[in-house]
Amino acid sequence: MMAPGTEVGEGDRDYRLTLPAKSSKKPPPELSEGIRVRGLVIVSFWAVVIFLGLPVWLWTTSIHRARLPLQEMLDWADGKACKPTFPLQIAIEAPLLQDAEAAHLVHMTQHALDDLNEFSAHHLRLRLAKSLSSPSRRNASIPESQDLDIGQVFQSYEDLDDRDDSALTVRLRAQDGIQAARSALQSHSTILDVAYAPNQIPSVSSSSSALATFIANRLQELFAEEQAIIAYILSQSAAGIQSTSHSPYVSPATASGSREIRSRPNRLINPEMAARLASRMTRSLKYAPTYHITMSLFTPSASPSSWQIESALAEYLTPLLDSISAVSNFTVDTQVQLYATFSPSVHAPEHDADHGVWTLQEEDLSGFINAAEWPLSPSIGAGPTLNFVLYVPDQTTSPLVVKGSQASSWLIPQWGGVVILNAQDANTTSVGSTLSKEAIRPALLTFSHQLLSFLGAPQTPPSLPLQLQTLTRIRAASLLLSASSTMGSLARLTVALPSIAIPETVSTAVDTTLSHLRYTCNALKEGKFPEALENARIAEAEAERGFFEKSMVGQVYFPDEHKVAVYLPLLGPVGVPLIMSALKELKRMWASRKAQ
Amino acid sequence: MKYSFGPLLLSLLSCSLVLADPDYHERLNLQPLTPASLLASFNFWSKASLQSYEEQHFKYIPRSLGQILQHAKTRELHLRFSTGRWDDESWGARPWGGTKEGGTGVELWAWVEADSDAGSFARWVTLNNALSGLFCASLNFIDSTRTTRPRMTFEPASVGTNASTDNLYLLHGTLPREVVCTENLTPFLKLLPCKGKAGIASLLDGHKLFDASWQSMAIDVRSVCPADGSECSIEMEQTVDMVLDVQRSKRPRDNPIPRPVPSEGLRCDDTKPYAGSDFCYPSDISNGQSWTIAEIFGRPIQGSCLAEDSNGNPLDSVYIDVPNEREMYITSGTENKHLSGTCRSFTLPKSEPFEMVLSHLGPQTFNDHTTPPLYASRSFTGHGQERGGVQTLLTNPSLTSSISFVYFETLPWFMKLYLHTLTARLSTSSTPNPCLIKEKFYRPALDRRRGTQLELLISVPANSTVILTYDFDKAILRYTEYPPDANRGFDVAPAVIRLLSNDKKAPVYIRTTSLLLPLPTPDFSMPYNVIILTSTVMALAFGMIFNLLVRRFVGADEVEGWDVAALKAKLRGGVMVLRDKMMKKGGKGRKSINSSCGN
Repeated sequence: MMAPGTEVGEGDRDYRLTLPAKSSKKPPPELSEGIRVRGLVIVSFWAVVIFLGLPVWLWTTSIHRARLPLQEMLDWADGKACKPTFPLQIAIEAPLLQDAEAAHLVHMTQHALDDLNEFSAHHLRLRLAKSLSSPSRRNASIPESQDLDIGQVFQSYEDLDDRDDSALTVRLRAQDGIQAARSALQSHSTILDVAYAPNQIPSVSSSSSALATFIANRLQELFAEEQAIIAYILSQSAAGIQSTSHSPYVSPATASGSREIRSRPNRLINPEMAARLASRMTRSLKYAPTYHITMSLFTPSASPSSWQIESALAEYLTPLLDSISAVSNFTVDTQVQLYATFSPSVHAPEHDADHGVWTLQEEDLSGFINAAEWPLSPSIGAGPTLNFVLYVPDQTTSPLVVKGSQASSWLIPQWGGVVILNAQDANTTSVGSTLSKEAIRPALLTFSHQLLSFLGAPQTPPSLPLQLQTLTRIRAASLLLSASSTMGSLARLTVALPSIAIPETVSTAVDTTLSHLRYTCNALKEGKFPEALENARIAEAEAERGFFEKSMVGQVYFPDEHKVAVYLPLLGPVGVPLIMSALKELKRMWASRKAQ
Repeated sequence: MKYSFGPLLLSLLSCSLVLADPDYHERLNLQPLTPASLLASFNFWSKASLQSYEEQHFKYIPRSLGQILQHAKTRELHLRFSTGRWDDESWGARPWGGTKEGGTGVELWAWVEADSDAGSFARWVTLNNALSGLFCASLNFIDSTRTTRPRMTFEPASVGTNASTDNLYLLHGTLPREVVCTENLTPFLKLLPCKGKAGIASLLDGHKLFDASWQSMAIDVRSVCPADGSECSIEMEQTVDMVLDVQRSKRPRDNPIPRPVPSEGLRCDDTKPYAGSDFCYPSDISNGQSWTIAEIFGRPIQGSCLAEDSNGNPLDSVYIDVPNEREMYITSGTENKHLSGTCRSFTLPKSEPFEMVLSHLGPQTFNDHTTPPLYASRSFTGHGQERGGVQTLLTNPSLTSSISFVYFETLPWFMKLYLHTLTARLSTSSTPNPCLIKEKFYRPALDRRRGTQLELLISVPANSTVILTYDFDKAILRYTEYPPDANRGFDVAPAVIRLLSNDKKAPVYIRTTSLLLPLPTPDFSMPYNVIILTSTVMALAFGMIFNLLVRRFVGADEVEGWDVAALKAKLRGGVMVLRDKMMKKGGKGRKSINSSCGN
């Protein structure tokens, strides 16, 4: 190594000649004031960058996420916020009994009922009808005349409902000459007539009574199916929580809580019953205030090209729809579709020589509806569409049945029903290419049966108002649970996707949902079921609106590296001097500290 | 002016027939236009009583369309999908008097029931969105800038309804940019009762239809309340018109590339003096043009579709305009020669295929095509990216009578029309003649809210041409308003011309072609350039200020800069060391080679 300065170039020599003192000349020592000012300048620049630049950058590039009450939402989903109960008020009218006797009878019946009831969430509360004022009498007397218009009965049913909350009225009536108590449920009202022998009235001192046990058993029997359905719905939701509880928010306590919910109804539902309820529940549609019904006639050839559907509907279907109109409204449209071929994936019908029929394979039934070509789009307007398809096979492949079961109708869960109308049945009654009203009667009856099962109506008790009340409670319960679980899903989604934007509308929807859920829960506790259904409906609609918020679904993905790349021409040239000066300053400070 | 556009319009074609009145009928009219081209008009007509329609019992009126119309409270609908240009110089007047065709792309107009203008627009948007889904077309892009409310151009085709008393609003929208293709034909066919599986609709195939020189698909829905008080009904008419190039259509589908005709297949004109075995002057194709349905459309007709009257008698479905002396062969069905001498019709067999052969034997005369009542052509004038002009030539070919018509144009808002430059003059004079334009209806554009609407009542004297001109400015759009291929230009919707006649005849419509307007187009990498340039300027400014504040300024001789000499020496030393090392290594290597040789 040569020492610096021993060898110099030509130019440097000249330089040195003119400035001989260069090597020794040093700048004057810097003033401490200058050093301080420079330090301050650098610090202030950095302060601007850190306290103004960075926040502005983060704020302008951040995604708006409204605050959601996550814990509360999860509580609802886990069933911790509300345990729905269904206390049913049952009024007992005993006009002929002394007050004390009646009270005692009610007390004993209640006792017997509580013994019978295994499902505590759904329980029957008996009370004595207070005073038999004249309006009550008037209402009670309506069902006596059997030739009443159905609408009128509903009117009176609603009147009753407004005035007092009792689900059922038990009317006790003494009747001479009968040995044991007898009961009769009126099919168009919510009154259970119980006839008893006068000697069956228990004395105030007795501790057991055959009449009380009889009434208790009868009531329990009436509401058994409803209890089973509600228990099933609750247990399903609890099971759903169990299977989907991957969230860190679900604490062990919650899990055990839902297990508790599940274990209780399980005693009530045996596996066979559960399977039956499960199939019914998957089949039935979600509740909606309006359903659209589309009746379609499909045929693979040009005939039949018309059907007397208008008169057939008026005769066979409209009465049914009118009677359900208290729960939901229906619109009906019909269409005729010619030249409707099967989709290529369906096997062509095979001829079964033994029975002289053509058969469809059972596994092809799911693809029977040619979704690509058959115009079965949902109707316009709010509410789900139920499709009922009447298929008239070609003359050459008739009669057409399902292989094995030889059935000619089936239903597609939550979508609709299909009936194959075989030509020889039709031939007898159809004129030319028109299907007569009589020819499509069996199909329409099948459709109306299928319609009821899509609505999820219970089969018992035989009284229609009671069935509708049951439907109200079932719907309220299922809406409550589904809205709650939507809340849970939304909360989990929010946690799982930190880059998803959450607009204020979602937050509002969540607030509305939660408040209506609370109303629903309270209304259920108080036994105000129509009010509960109303609130649950709003809660469900709001929950869905929040979950399917458009701006949330289409999330804009702007990765941070893209933002940096776009602004690199600014950040680079600005950042380098800032960092270099900061490093230099730090070095100087380090050196000066060392020197000290 | 009310008219019935079912049977009346059919009579406009040279083949006419009184129709029985079932709820559905269809007909195909084949009309050789010139030796080389063939006009095929498919017409499907269906009817339902208004009561059953409103109660949603659908039979031949399709449920999907019916529900949309009811949902959007639309009383009357006209939807058109068109491509190509009708060559009126060689093809003559338009089929159906131009009432069943639209401008290039998609055109839609409807009478919507509403309480107010705003309400009618809301329903119009609903209608467009629903139809957009049904027909797989971008109809949902008909927004307020593409919607107009014409005053004079359209009249309701419905009978027995009164637009003003029934609170009906007419809205009109165009999408000249839309490319009509198979995805629009498939839903169109699905609306038919036989779905294109039987009847004349089985000939409709996307490959042939969109290969045609000109084609137009139309859907018209109207209501008819007869004056005699009988039951109101709703009628729907679906029409497909296409002009096929016969030679082009006859090319086999699996081998569509045109090839030279083999010498034995050539038809030579033997009248030429040089005719001989070595020379061939190809004869005019009109001599002996023959074709079959399967050759032209790719397949025969697959049986009939509901072609029966109420008594079960078969109805004629296929009509052809050729002289009765020309020989034709059919595989099945019956032939029916009409008295006019140039028209015959056929019934279709129920379920077997129907094939028809038009032989080259017999007279080759073509029906003289009717001269169109008006020729219209429109083009841009001017140059540059700032302003331009439009010139429309309107020629009245009639030697005796003048003609008056409504000229209707919708211009996009970025084409800023100067109304004072709107002039009309006769082609023979150079000064504008103010008497030619009788009436003007003008609704100026609002930026990004609505387009210009211009309706002019013009009359053209006999045997003369009127030149209509106006100037416009081109607006500069916002960056995001440009479509993906902005340099292609912006389509301007065709002008619609409605001819006025004194007698109560069905109206005649003519449409010009669409125009392609080039707008000043920016460089689309501009935002990034702007970001980079701005960033650089800011960085420069920042660097300068920062250095001024932070650096210490000393005399030039006081700089403790880099000592160049020392650096040079260091570098030289390094090079020496490296070279030494290399030399040593090389020496070693050589030694080892030597030793290996020694061994």
